[in-house]
Amino acid sequence: MTTSPTLVEVEEAVPSGPLAPPTSGKRVVTTITRDKGALACLVFLAIVVLMAVAAPLITKLSGWGPYQFDSAAINSDLGGVPHGSLGGISGSHWFGVEPQNGRDLFARIVYGARVSITISLSATLLTGILGVVLGMLAGFYRGWVDQVISRLMDFLMAFPALIFMIAILSSLPSGNRPVLLVVVISVFGWPYLARVIRGQTMTLANREFVEAARASGAKDTQVVFREILPNLRGSIVVMTTLAIPGFIGTEAGLSFLGVGVSPPTASWGQMIASSVSWYSVDPMFFAIPGAFLFLTVLSLTVLGDKIRTLIDQGEAA
Amino acid sequence: MSDLFIVDDLTVTFPTSRGPVEVVKNLSFTVGRDDTLGIVGESGSGKSMTALAVLGLLPRGAQTSGSVRLDGTELLGKSERDLRAVRGNAISMVFQDPLSSLNPYYTVGLQISEMYQTHQGGSRRAAKQVAIEALERVGIPDPERRVDHYPHQFSGGQRQRVMIAMALCCSPSLLIADEPTTALDVTVQAQILELLAELQSTTGTGMIFITHDLAVISSIAQRVLVMREGDPVEYGTAEQVFSDPQHEYTRMLLDAVPRIDDEVPA
Amino acid sequence: MTRYVLGRLGSVVLILLAVCLFTYLIFFKLSPDPAVMICGKTCTPDRINSIRDVLGLNQPILTQFWEFLRGIFAGRQYGSVHCPAPCLGYSFQTNESVWSMITARLPVSITVAVGAAVLWLLAGVIGGLVSAVKQGTWWDRTAMALALGGVSIPNYVLALLLQYVLVVKLQVLPFPSAVPFADNPVLWFESYLMPWVVLAVGYACLYARLTRSNVIDTLSENYFRTARAKGLSGSLIMRRHALRPALTPITTIFGMDFAGLLGGALITETVFGLNGIGKMAADSIAKNDQPVIMAVTLLAAFFVVIGNVVVDLLYTALDPRVRVVSS
Repeated sequence: MTTSPTLVEVEEAVPSGPLAPPTSGKRVVTTITRDKGALACLVFLAIVVLMAVAAPLITKLSGWGPYQFDSAAINSDLGGVPHGSLGGISGSHWFGVEPQNGRDLFARIVYGARVSITISLSATLLTGILGVVLGMLAGFYRGWVDQVISRLMDFLMAFPALIFMIAILSSLPSGNRPVLLVVVISVFGWPYLARVIRGQTMTLANREFVEAARASGAKDTQVVFREILPNLRGSIVVMTTLAIPGFIGTEAGLSFLGVGVSPPTASWGQMIASSVSWYSVDPMFFAIPGAFLFLTVLSLTVLGDKIRTLIDQGEAA
Repeated sequence: MSDLFIVDDLTVTFPTSRGPVEVVKNLSFTVGRDDTLGIVGESGSGKSMTALAVLGLLPRGAQTSGSVRLDGTELLGKSERDLRAVRGNAISMVFQDPLSSLNPYYTVGLQISEMYQTHQGGSRRAAKQVAIEALERVGIPDPERRVDHYPHQFSGGQRQRVMIAMALCCSPSLLIADEPTTALDVTVQAQILELLAELQSTTGTGMIFITHDLAVISSIAQRVLVMREGDPVEYGTAEQVFSDPQHEYTRMLLDAVPRIDDEVPA
Repeated sequence: MTRYVLGRLGSVVLILLAVCLFTYLIFFKLSPDPAVMICGKTCTPDRINSIRDVLGLNQPILTQFWEFLRGIFAGRQYGSVHCPAPCLGYSFQTNESVWSMITARLPVSITVAVGAAVLWLLAGVIGGLVSAVKQGTWWDRTAMALALGGVSIPNYVLALLLQYVLVVKLQVLPFPSAVPFADNPVLWFESYLMPWVVLAVGYACLYARLTRSNVIDTLSENYFRTARAKGLSGSLIMRRHALRPALTPITTIFGMDFAGLLGGALITETVFGLNGIGKMAADSIAKNDQPVIMAVTLLAAFFVVIGNVVVDLLYTALDPRVRVVSS
């Protein structure tokens, strides 16, 4: 579930019922700000995004960079265990340090946030573009265009994505990992969005308002952009919002397995992987990145859920 | 002969975000043993709510007050368990849209026999025989074969016949038909009305016929109740209501029915 | 009907062929030369070349691919080594035919998949059903909140957490080992329990949410109201008129999810050290054992594609309205 979305997630994500009139963005904002749970999620996410965006600034304030070794904080006699309880949490190291190398955990969490957010948002963007464009092309033009695109989607969805992603990533050289990750994740991710968009485009293309537009002389591109695309807005918003936590999980999973961003770049998944051998003596090294990963995915899922419910209801009061 | 079914001062209230709303207000009527009562009104008049209230099928949160008595037994306030013994057994209901009112995943035979077995017990084989006979009684041709068909394999009119067969299989004393012909073609409508009338006279069942169509009422009801926004507006025998309506709303409804000898505006 | 099935099977073969070819081509350039590996430390270019000849590595790539396909049905000869049919390749690193590696490890993956599936179906469907019936109550809200949590936790985080708590701290379970059921049933159960739970949690939460929303829909259907009006007993109504209609889409989704798991739950098996197809995939990727990677990819794709066909056929069996009309 942390890799390519299962059919269940896609089924869940698709707004049910006939395509309702689009919900106003303002209504979404007001509803969410009134819900305490959703608000808490939003606040947490804002913190994470802030970490991602202002990472260098934040670490300057906290005192330690993500690549600096602090040998004073670890007890080399005991094999590298951090001094003090809770993994070495102190005034100087807010989240403690990593065992063995003494790197500041707070700085690495902050930089890890940067990795998670940039990669997942980029993947969402790329998947969104590919999925919407190819889905609309297939649904609107039908015929051989649809055949080609649908076969391509079947082909990609038949692949065991995780295995393939790991295999490709581990055999390619380390250069420019983040871009590679985004591309690989998106290549396997877009068919799920495209399939839904294709289905909805086909339904919409048969509706009367499209006929009316054509009858009044609208060209194909105008029909697509002015008539069909606005009605897809709801589905697109819902699916991309719910894709983000999935991609965060995927990146973390790949880094956990060692094929994500290359060390010493910090990634929550990679930190969890490193923490395995230490968890009997320093459980905080596992708990802190684990908690951040869990809470980020949770907050995004909760918000995505709320947005989906709102869009399902359309403009109904 | 005592009346079969007596409703006295029935009120149904729904909680809404704007406060409680009464959808049925102080309604009273009776139905005789093999009589038909027609309840007429536009959408939102509360006529369907009345039917649901009688069987305890109102949505969650609805409040009822007043009295609903079948053969002397009070129905309002009965537990769900006791109501189940009444539903389908003493009082049956036929709904408006037969396609969506039948479970698409099971054969019509099963949907009839499950009802029979619940109330009368017996083996599956016996219940299936009852289902076949019920289908035959409502005029479905080749019932032995059709009993194993699914709802989508029947036409609209036939599906309504199936619903009626289902409703009558346990010989209820009262049948409530909520807009049974509204979703059907006009010619089919006439057939269904004929069927209902015939079945009623053979089985001696009381019937409440709910509709918005006055013309339909005139052909089958002995007594008529007109409802408007939850209020009972007119109540009397069919002759009374049609020839000498007391309330302005009733007159309005009657006037709205197009007649063959109406004058065409110049 | 038969024409439909044949058509679907035809497209299955096509897709598998495409997957196979694509994987072969991608890894052709990316994997290390097996000849170099066999040759060992004291190697000369001549020796490498002769080994390559024996292995058929000097032929054009499409010929090699054709040989590979042929080997699946007819077996294959790698110099003095014979790989009997079905020959999905030969691993020179482990000195085994890939097929025998797969058959040795497939039971583990199947055990993991089946056990998890039973757990998640029971928990998810029943949980979702109860939530739907008790919609709006504290039970429903708590269950759905927990489901959100379960969906959000990555399975390796949960796996490590469980292992830490149950094995290291509380010591109620041993570290999992893939011991066959016949040898030691108790240890077998204790070993598979955590992987089952970890795998099941995520799916159970998804299925609970899906079941809940499907049942809520069915509860508002007209035929449900009819069922109530017929005075049927509570359990009968729930079974036939609420759950059964809601389960059709869930059954098809389950088919796809299960098929995906048969190809090996890579992360779960790796974390718990269970020697299944998933772990074999991870290990072979780490060692760059190309024939194994190829075969595992093909196997997983095979399950997914077949699962797709089965699910489509299942749907026609489950929903009377979409039965393919025989002409």
